[in-house]
Amino acid sequence: MSTTTAEAQIKETVTSNPVVLFMKGNKTMPQCGFSSRVAGVLNYMGVDYADVDVLQDQEIRQGIKDYSDWPTIPQLYVKGEFVGGCDIITEMTLSGELDQLFEQNGIAYDKDAAAKIREANAED
Amino acid sequence: MSMSDRISSRLEEAFAPHRLEVEDQSEMHRGHAGYQEGGESHWHVVIASSAFAGQTRIARHRAVHAALGPDIMGQIHALSLDISE
Repeated sequence: MSTTTAEAQIKETVTSNPVVLFMKGNKTMPQCGFSSRVAGVLNYMGVDYADVDVLQDQEIRQGIKDYSDWPTIPQLYVKGEFVGGCDIITEMTLSGELDQLFEQNGIAYDKDAAAKIREANAED
Repeated sequence: MSMSDRISSRLEEAFAPHRLEVEDQSEMHRGHAGYQEGGESHWHVVIASSAFAGQTRIARHRAVHAALGPDIMGQIHALSLDISE
């Protein structure tokens, strides 16, 4: 598969699914702590999202880094836009910005679950 | 120069931060992907600089990645960032 094909495939994935997480492993069995943290947040918040395991495809693993000009995995996309990696998603979850982003884009999520995550991390 | 010093000096030079902490957290990831004997694989950086004022989260992270350069970014396995003004 050429790089162009990987890019086309990525574009197709992020535009045809409202929320996509490129990760190591999958949403039920993450293979990396950073991927696990972001998948855990989305799972807990009950977000319906597509998961792409970059460990299954070397072209996608490199291609997604080129696509977003971002050097690391995981990467979260909402409505085709790159949102961030583990640090940014963690910060946005705790600040409530992730809730806002989902609301602005009509993505369903469990508001109580999001509030519980913030409650549990309130001492920070 | 150690990896820690290399990371510090590039960030000092690029952002003149008023707060900078560079921590090798490799031991926390012993046995995980990317871990190597001797550490220096997983890093956590806390940086605060007025240079980040008005930048989005993504832009701040990109600025730090760029300041570290492809050589350092290519040598380390993971970089966790806490960036503020």
